[in-house]
Amino acid sequence: MVGLSEGEKHFIRGGIAQGIRTDGRRRLQFRALSVETGVIPQANGSARVRLGATEIIASVKAELGKPNILHPDKGKVSIFVDCSPTAEPTFEGRGSEELSTELSVALQRCLLGGKSGAGAAIDLSSLIIVEGKVCWDLYIDGLVVSSDGNLLDALAAAIKVALSNTGIPKVNVSLSAASDEEPEVDVSNEEFLQFDTSSVPVIVTLTKVGQHYIVDATSEEESQMSSAVSVSVNRNGQVCGLTKRGGAGLDPSVIFDMISVAKHVSQQFIAHLDSKISAAEAAAE
Amino acid sequence: MEFVDALTGFRVDGRRPNEMRKLKGEVGVVARADGSALFEMGNTRVIAAVYGPREVQNKGQQVNSKEALVRCEYRMAEFSTGDRRRKPKGDRRSTEISLVIRQTMEASILTELMPRSQIDIFVQVLQADGGTRSACINAATLALADAGIPMRDIVTSCSAGYLCSTPLLDLNYVEDSAGGPDVTVGILAKMDKVTLLQMDAKLPMDTFENVMGLAIEGCKAIATHIREVLLENTKRLECQRG
Repeated sequence: MVGLSEGEKHFIRGGIAQGIRTDGRRRLQFRALSVETGVIPQANGSARVRLGATEIIASVKAELGKPNILHPDKGKVSIFVDCSPTAEPTFEGRGSEELSTELSVALQRCLLGGKSGAGAAIDLSSLIIVEGKVCWDLYIDGLVVSSDGNLLDALAAAIKVALSNTGIPKVNVSLSAASDEEPEVDVSNEEFLQFDTSSVPVIVTLTKVGQHYIVDATSEEESQMSSAVSVSVNRNGQVCGLTKRGGAGLDPSVIFDMISVAKHVSQQFIAHLDSKISAAEAAAE
Repeated sequence: MEFVDALTGFRVDGRRPNEMRKLKGEVGVVARADGSALFEMGNTRVIAAVYGPREVQNKGQQVNSKEALVRCEYRMAEFSTGDRRRKPKGDRRSTEISLVIRQTMEASILTELMPRSQIDIFVQVLQADGGTRSACINAATLALADAGIPMRDIVTSCSAGYLCSTPLLDLNYVEDSAGGPDVTVGILAKMDKVTLLQMDAKLPMDTFENVMGLAIEGCKAIATHIREVLLENTKRLECQRG
């Protein structure tokens, strides 16, 4: 809930129209980004990402599971988001459920691809241990600790960092003679495999306020939006997912324009995030 | 299992029986909250955020309009425990801990100074390794102080247990799940008053006195640490003002 007076609303809208926002940013400029890795020791990978006053902790846990019968050659990945009441008093009790579900579904759409697992950010076949029998189940949890707008972009960035920090234990499978028996799996405590996270996309949300659109909106700016389009783009500039929010309708030509702008912005953001990840990894060592 | 080494007297994590885990307190970790704090006791890590005093949101909850309404919610992050299990929100354990924290904090907040208003305390467990109850209370104290809410005294909490015929201070998860008695004490540090006392399992009276004495010692040590953190923060603020 943002309580703004008429004057403040006018100021925010006027600033965006003139290309200079209340915190001095231009329309397509992100807030300061800070990245920390390995913040949750008991997870396989974790990260804390701060985007201005928005703070996200993401963790990746890997558990042994059974692959889906329909896709015996693929592992499973699930994404859950929880909005802590520390971020906003209205998230208390069941107050955050709707928003958490909305964010989880949007992230699943952008990162997990279709039902068959095609187009997923992570190569699901790399999670398989014994085809049809044993695979890794990846549980990705996002926790919103502090919220000041643009949660989706921050969550996607945090998940990308957490995945690049993730080490999956190496496993040795002792194949038993009979193929229908449960294979014995020996999980190594010392050797870990890293993921190829280069194809994990980032999400860029363009928030339309008046005639113009902005990236990385604060919650004050979000309260003035007419609609928002979240585009997930990977390193190769391919669009991996799209979500439109907000009540107002958008002209199709505007949407195409927004996608091309998002594509352009995302390439800068990925480069920026990558440099932050390597700096964080270096600091952690 | 041997929780205290018979030869050296050290515990499973290498501490002495009357030794506390490493404490860390940090103020102002949630940018948009009125007051917030991070508190670590070893591997247990919690964040507390305070919103208020502000207008009562749900008038039905207001019992006494001459006093502030204090509310509290305790939540555990999905990744806070070793094995990942989805728990429904508002399970009985969380509800009980929320209540305990609320009552403990209410004892120290000067509620009569803020009539017709509400103070929300939210605690979020990021890592659970025993003693989350105590860590939450300590974090809440720091956050309330950061929010500038008038309090009688600093409330701190610490647990102590009794394993292998030795009273142990500040149990970690392994020691906590050993099944021995676990005494959690909360005190008003300067006034020397107990505001929270919980124990499970049984313990002879004279041993209980020792264990509780040890827990109170722990609380006092935490109070000293919290005072240091707050003093340092105030000095920093003073510097910023110039």
